[in-house]
Amino acid sequence: MSPAAALKTPTAPAVAQSGARLLVSTLERLGVEVVFGYPGGAIMPIYDALAGSSLRHYLCRHEQGAAFSADAYARVSGKVGVCMATSGPGATNLVTGIANAMLDSVPMVCITGNVAQGVMGTDSFQEVDILGVTLPLVKHSYLVRSAADIPAIIEEAFHIARSGRPGPVLIDLPKDVQFEMTDAPRGLHLPNEIAVAEMAAILDAETVIRAARRPILYVGGGAKISGAVEAVRAFAAMTGIPQVCTLNALGTIPSGQDNYLGMLGMHGTPAANEAVQSADLLIVVGARFDDRATGKLAEFAPHAGVVHFDIDPSEIGKLRTVAVGVVGDLKPNLEALNRRLAQGEPINVSDWADQWRVRTRETLINYDAPGESVYAPGLLNQLSKMAGPGFIAACDVGQHQMWVAQHCEFSRPEAHITSGGLGSMGFGLPAGIGAKLAEPDAVVVTVTGDGGVMMNIQELATVNRFKIPLKILLLDNSRLGMVRQWQEFFFERNFSEVDLSDNPDFVKVAEAFGIEAFRIDRRDQVTAGLERLLACEGPILAHVIIDPAENVWPLVPPGKNNAQMMHAASSEGDY
Amino acid sequence: MTDILHVQIDRIDGSLQRLIGLIERRGFHIDGIDMVEQGAFRHIAMKVRSRDASRSLDNLGLQIDRLVGARRISNDASFRSEAA
Repeated sequence: MSPAAALKTPTAPAVAQSGARLLVSTLERLGVEVVFGYPGGAIMPIYDALAGSSLRHYLCRHEQGAAFSADAYARVSGKVGVCMATSGPGATNLVTGIANAMLDSVPMVCITGNVAQGVMGTDSFQEVDILGVTLPLVKHSYLVRSAADIPAIIEEAFHIARSGRPGPVLIDLPKDVQFEMTDAPRGLHLPNEIAVAEMAAILDAETVIRAARRPILYVGGGAKISGAVEAVRAFAAMTGIPQVCTLNALGTIPSGQDNYLGMLGMHGTPAANEAVQSADLLIVVGARFDDRATGKLAEFAPHAGVVHFDIDPSEIGKLRTVAVGVVGDLKPNLEALNRRLAQGEPINVSDWADQWRVRTRETLINYDAPGESVYAPGLLNQLSKMAGPGFIAACDVGQHQMWVAQHCEFSRPEAHITSGGLGSMGFGLPAGIGAKLAEPDAVVVTVTGDGGVMMNIQELATVNRFKIPLKILLLDNSRLGMVRQWQEFFFERNFSEVDLSDNPDFVKVAEAFGIEAFRIDRRDQVTAGLERLLACEGPILAHVIIDPAENVWPLVPPGKNNAQMMHAASSEGDY
Repeated sequence: MTDILHVQIDRIDGSLQRLIGLIERRGFHIDGIDMVEQGAFRHIAMKVRSRDASRSLDNLGLQIDRLVGARRISNDASFRSEAA
């Protein structure tokens, strides 16, 4: 606990209780309902205290699954995700999930047991310095030295996880602290601060926006995180400025909206990338100029000035010089900007916007691909239309992830759950679990590949144990498709270690876990297959065989700028 | 270019490691450290050198500001003027 926190007013003394019990009761008091985890030796006192608590613990089958489920639960519910694991391997198995939450700014509290303080530093059984291991991957972390500190640390951890730019916080609890009895826990009451920019910065932004002739609104995942979706949409509607979204922002502007050009970047739409490259101003809202969005940074939007709205001051000017930086919570800042814009002359960029509406129409995707094999982009587009407004896609990582981003329709950002920053294969299945628990009435579909699903396939047992009515769409090209695609175009077709043609029979695998499953081999089976998938009341897996040669288009090659997109080419040969 | 960075950190587990790790990870060499205890805090003066010209000391300062339990004492202008 920080010294500053220790100075806070203590809560009323309670009857003596163990550190473990205190941890659980503090989580209950903070309103936590769902915890994902896996027990082990150094966290047994906490699991002992969990029994009989109001917390719903979901026993995952691997700690990485627990972390990913907590991450997706947080993204969909807007609450802080909570996961827990034991020391040593339990803790290190959380690490990828922690990094995933860090890179996508997801609020998460990760609780690890550790060996007793007396044996720390002696290489004792299952001892790992998880605090040290995760230092670069967390927003903050604690090693709890005294049971009396637990309530204050937990409260502070939740506050840090969700305030400002959200992120994961690790709390490491030595076993002796879990056993320690205390009757004098120290509490903490933290203000809910909202950082708002100086009005001068907003006025500067208004001036620059009014002067622009070719502006683009560039929306990142921060818009959803800060609750600024309505403010972004209001800005877009009021100004008529064309909009593009990053991968993590999809749904912030509803698909098909007038003046919405789609996703920018490596697999973005031609209209989005070309418009950004032609713009004279980028109005960047909660985005961080990720290299997957910018392509060759030195040639990104070469004619554009930048107005950057972000809560994290270290993102302003980090990779791109700005004309105006507006630091603070996006929601109040955009609302203030909107009020200013509403008072003056209306912004008129209709000629510029018309140009990109035309370009969008010219480059609409044709789903009428030749052949009888399943065309994955068409299937995914059909899926999102059939699933309706309650649709949530929890994606794995790879070609299918990009196809979901390109071809599914989203009306809200919570509908698209993806590992954007870390790009972690294995995310899809546990993320689907977390998303479905966060929003039980939603139509949650995990879209995964034959590579990604194998990385956390044990979570089918979690799906079955809790009878979570998750729909799993497994697109199987019997390859590591994205790697294969890059080898095809950038490594002279040297297809090295991408063959997964010895995959198991996924229908039998799912059935062995107690989950209904079926196979789709041909395009004429797609509609009936999707109807079956969506109609099923319990968990279900659709194993879809797709063409191994199918690629993701368009593509900005590595080292190129976003105007240098490659488009669909014939792919022939032995894959 | 070498600069002196002054930072105050809480005296808690991991705070020094966190600070040093951040500076190195963000593309700076640490060529010297001087640390003194100040009650519940530790005051650190660090001689840092950017690994290449693309690394901004201003941005490093903002990254340090994000750390919980760490406070940058020098402002941008002063830690440049105190270059060793």
